Amino acid sequence: MFDVTELVQPDQGLINPSIYTDPEVYQGELERVFARSWLFLAHDTQLAKPGSFVQTYMAEDPVLVVRQRDGSVKAFLNQCRHRGMRICRADEGVARAFTCTYHGWGYNLAGELVNVPMQDRAYHDEIDKSKWGPTQVPRLHNHKGFIFGTWDESAPAFEDYLGDMIWYFDALADRYDEGLTLVPGATKWVIDCNWKFAAEQFASDMYHVPSSHASALVALIEDPAVLAEFQEQSAAAPGRQYAGNGHGSGFGLRPDLVPTQAGPDFDAWVVANREQIYRRIGEHRALAVNGHNTVFPNFSWLTINNTMRVWHPRGPGQIEVWSWTYLPKDADERAKQAVRTSTIRTFSAAGVFETDDGENWTEIQQVLRGHQARKTTFNARMGLGHERHGTDGMPGRVTDDMYTEMAARGMYRRWADLMSGLSWPEITERDKSRQQREQEAHLA
Amino acid sequence: MSEYTRKPWIRVGRIDEIPEDQALRLDTTPPVSVFRSDGEFFCVDDTCTHEDFSLADGWVEDGAVECPLHLAKFCLRTGAALATPACRPLATHEVRVDGADVYVRIERGGDDRVDGHCPGAIGSNAGRRDAEGAGHGMA
Repeated sequence: MFDVTELVQPDQGLINPSIYTDPEVYQGELERVFARSWLFLAHDTQLAKPGSFVQTYMAEDPVLVVRQRDGSVKAFLNQCRHRGMRICRADEGVARAFTCTYHGWGYNLAGELVNVPMQDRAYHDEIDKSKWGPTQVPRLHNHKGFIFGTWDESAPAFEDYLGDMIWYFDALADRYDEGLTLVPGATKWVIDCNWKFAAEQFASDMYHVPSSHASALVALIEDPAVLAEFQEQSAAAPGRQYAGNGHGSGFGLRPDLVPTQAGPDFDAWVVANREQIYRRIGEHRALAVNGHNTVFPNFSWLTINNTMRVWHPRGPGQIEVWSWTYLPKDADERAKQAVRTSTIRTFSAAGVFETDDGENWTEIQQVLRGHQARKTTFNARMGLGHERHGTDGMPGRVTDDMYTEMAARGMYRRWADLMSGLSWPEITERDKSRQQREQEAHLA
Repeated sequence: MSEYTRKPWIRVGRIDEIPEDQALRLDTTPPVSVFRSDGEFFCVDDTCTHEDFSLADGWVEDGAVECPLHLAKFCLRTGAALATPACRPLATHEVRVDGADVYVRIERGGDDRVDGHCPGAIGSNAGRRDAEGAGHGMA
């Protein structure tokens, strides 16, 4: 068994890289991190009518998320209780019932076993169907159209689990009167890297951008004068980073909502709807909270780049990325097309930024095949001791520069607490006293 | 007062309670369902003749209902089995629309099923269903 204190020292910003490679640690994560956290399952608009369903994953566990006849949503393990076959083999669709293709056990939309073939002849009518339905996801929460679920009855309520991150999440989730819609279908691809590289970068890392994305930036901004202006702006308004409960959000501070990466057709819609956005989330938040985000453990998005994704873990050395492009539901077709095109070009399986990121993560994973490499401590100490509270009236711990690794340390703090086997009440208690100590230290 | 308010007619509900390609189930014994397809109303037994499933939850299209469990399919007008694994028909019942209301008449005067030699019907519950039928006092 592993000793968590030897794996990460979050308060010191020290990481033993075996957490990215050790199969035992990975099995521990499935049990102690993913099975105990709130995980993103689906967006409301994916489940348009009664019987609409998607199959997604909670870490490695396949689950069906199904719209019920009364409009509510249920989710259950996509695993037949007879011999463990997938109950439904489609990625998404509209169903009236689900039938296992192996021996034909039939389930209704709620995931109740309703038919066992040859019940009289083969089972002598002795099977109690009410006891052999698939495992239900016991807790679901719909936050402004984003449906999350957890297996853990003792996990905090969703709002408490998010904590101050709700304010940053709502810069996306609550942005438009008519809400968001997704471009149909998830774009899915595989990267040979540990899930934490992706989750951590989206929580905490603006620092990689000038270096990792140098070629993409050159392609986008050819004129040195434009780049100079960009850099001046960035230095004058150094951005912020939030960290709390393992989540993270980081962003530069922008003078206006436009220009966006999607270009003039989308910008025109944004300008026409500027007042709506300001009314909903406030001008301050709308201009500031535009960057990278992760809700612990594996749901990430880039607010103004219109891309969100789940990093599904597939063993210590692989992830399946499920990525969606989101749009304002009532935007005009030209605006929507502009967003689709720009997101495909930048953040998709072959996007200019996306491929830079994947390249780094797979390289690190490759290097970690080495024995010496796995023994070498990683440095996550950027900005250590410079954490702040309530900067600019933003909720939670917020640094006064987006270049920091506070949120990475926060993510490994939450990871370590869960991996140590602490109960949820113990974790909540520890977080509270840590925060108190930190605030006192800053006031002193 | 119309003749449909009296026995043997049973009021099913209002027309608008049964949208196109949907069905309304009546908890008779055995249950029956009223389907609406291409604007027309049909009443057939609700339980698939292959395995137990309520056809009111099935897919309705072009005057037929398909059971979502194993894709058995029945003609709503005649009750005939149109697709395996079902091979025995559904009993059909009379439907009347009177104003905005739908009525059905269920008469089970005899064994109205085609005698079930059902090749390859290993998955069927034929034996059990016949026993049940006898229990309901069919002549």
